[in-house]
Formats: sequence, C-alpha cells, structure tokens
Amino acid sequence: MNTNMLELQLRGLDRHPPEDLERSTLITVGAADWMAITDTPLGVLWVAWSTRGVTGVTPLAFADTEDAFASHHRRRTYRADHLPADLASAITTGLESGDTTEVPVDLSGVTSFQRSVLTTCATIPVGTVRPYGWIASEIGSPGAVRAVGTALGRNPVPLIIPCHRVVRSDGAVGNYAFGPDMKHELLIREGAILA
Amino acid sequence: MGTGTSPGEDRIKDSLVAELDTGFAELVSAYQPGIYSGAMRLTGTREDAQDVAQDTFLRAYTALEAYGDDRIEALHIRAWLWTIAINLCRTRAKQRRPSVPLVDGHDTGAADPDPMDDAAWSERLSKLPDNQRIAVVLRHVLDLPISEISEVVERPEGTVKADISRGLARLRSIMDSEVR
Repeated sequence: MNTNMLELQLRGLDRHPPEDLERSTLITVGAADWMAITDTPLGVLWVAWSTRGVTGVTPLAFADTEDAFASHHRRRTYRADHLPADLASAITTGLESGDTTEVPVDLSGVTSFQRSVLTTCATIPVGTVRPYGWIASEIGSPGAVRAVGTALGRNPVPLIIPCHRVVRSDGAVGNYAFGPDMKHELLIREGAILA
Repeated sequence: MGTGTSPGEDRIKDSLVAELDTGFAELVSAYQPGIYSGAMRLTGTREDAQDVAQDTFLRAYTALEAYGDDRIEALHIRAWLWTIAINLCRTRAKQRRPSVPLVDGHDTGAADPDPMDDAAWSERLSKLPDNQRIAVVLRHVLDLPISEISEVVERPEGTVKADISRGLARLRSIMDSEVR
C-alpha cells in the first residue's frame, strides 16, 4: 500500500450526516422553530413554535403560502403537519375567551426593549384598551411612545400578545399589522368598544 | 485574516453577532457535516457520531449565548468546534471501551457506499493511538490544515506532523497485514 493510495482512500471516508440532524440540533437549542396551520376561533392561522412556546403568528389571509410565512417569520422554520395537541388547545381556548395568558410564548428572538413592551402589553385584560403612552410609562420610558408603537407593530405573536388592545390617546384605534379594520373588529368582539 | 479564518467563517461570525439564532443556523449548516463525518471515524459508529455532532453544537450554542461580540469575532470557529467535539469523542471512547465497531445494524443515515468497508475502517483506525487517529482523520479525511489541527489538539505543528506520519505508517502496516 503506497502513501498516495492510502491518502486517497482516507479522503473517501467523508460521510454525510442523516438529513434530520441539522433540524434536530437547531430545534433542540431553540434556534429554529416548527410551523403549521391551525384553525382557531379567529380564523386559520400560521403558528410557529419552539421548545419554549409560540414564536410567530400570522393569519393565513396575510401569508397564503409556507414560504410567505417563513420569510415573514424571519427565523429558520420547519414544516410540521400540525401543532402539538396541548399547544393547539391552549391557543383555541385563549383566543375564544380573549384571555391568552395561558399560551406559552417564546420571545427570545426579540430585543430586550421589545420584550418588555410585549410582556407589558400581555397584561392588558380582555375587554379593555390602553394608550401607547401607558406602556411607555409602565416600562419606565415615558418618552418612548413612538418606539413602543414600533415594537408593537413588530409583535411576532399578534392575537396571542394582544397588541390590538393598545390604541391612540385620542381614542382612535390606530395602526395594526393586519390593518385597522381587523383591529376594530377584534376590539368589538372583545367588548372593548361599541360596534 | 488570521489562521483558520475564511470569508465564510467571517460571514458566519458577523451573523452570530447580529442575531445569534440566525448565525447559529448558518454555523450548523456549515460545520456540522464535517464534525459528524470526523466523529464517525473517531468513534467508529454512526450512533456515536450523531450524538457527538449534536452535543458539540448544543455546547457551542450555550457558550455563544454567554460570549460577547469581541470574543465571537476572535473565534477560530472550526478549530473551536473540533476542540469541543474531540473532548466528547474521548469521553465516549472511555465509556464504550472495548470498542465494538458496528456493521450498520440499525443505520438510519444517508446512503452508505459500503457498510462493510466502513466497519473495516473503524477497526483499523481504532488500532491507532488517540493522537495519531485524531491527527490522521482531521488531516486526511477532513482536509484540515496542520496549523488548525495543532490548535485543536494543543500540540506543536511538528508533533502533529509526526503523529500523522506515524499514523499513516501504522495504517499501511495494518492494511498490509490484512492482505497477507
């Protein structure tokens, strides 16, 4: 056996890993999510989730394909057939009553400012609204009203974290990622405003 | 650009600094196949290689979460990952001895060119001392430069070259004895 022959044979020993190894690694550390479509009391939604909780929500009407949702979600996602039963049940129950506080949410992919805005927003009870300035004050940044608006506009888990309950101080419903009409409808449904 | 860095590596480090999860997904895509492949030759089994290739990146992720931007920018990523992986391979080897190379009894991996051949190579490589096996696999199966191997095993380049040379000589001798 000469040296070159041996070296060639060794080079040929490179083997590919099983296809699911990368996915399993990324899901296990929480650097990638599963995604699936689920039917809820508020319509059909795309939901992405990690081992820690829900990481993304978009109505099917605003992301009609898997690719559209994946690019909107901006984290590595793998398609699943359906949500885990306990998660689907928590989402359905939460969206039916409006009280989504029992739905596990994973906000590790957002900035710390955005996380504090969203966790404060999550405390607004169903059937009520708060102005943007209230959140700014609650998080100790009363001057950051505009930044609060931006953080809410980028809420990765709308409906679950009820950013639709944050309105303008003049009483107008204000902006919403899925349009002011949907925000208006959600607030009517929850009894926060009159039809 | 220092030893062991490449344009691809610099791009991944930039991604890690910008957003850990996005950068980490790129890191796994770029380096996990090599770690798996090398671990398979160092541990001798696909099952151990999968565990090592997964655990290496779980540890890397935990470390990266704690590292500041400067520390990430200064990393020689591949060498760093191999340092983690080699430690895991060694731990496994201690737990498993005496090693019994599998002949793909329950393989769920990618198509295998020749399982019997894989088992034969596991057997041959298992006969080399640790340092020689690691140096030969990193240099000749995975094509890592001597300087990077030296960093991984924390031995001088001259010693790594000697390990490779002795390892190859030993493999030749093992294979010659198989022919007789």
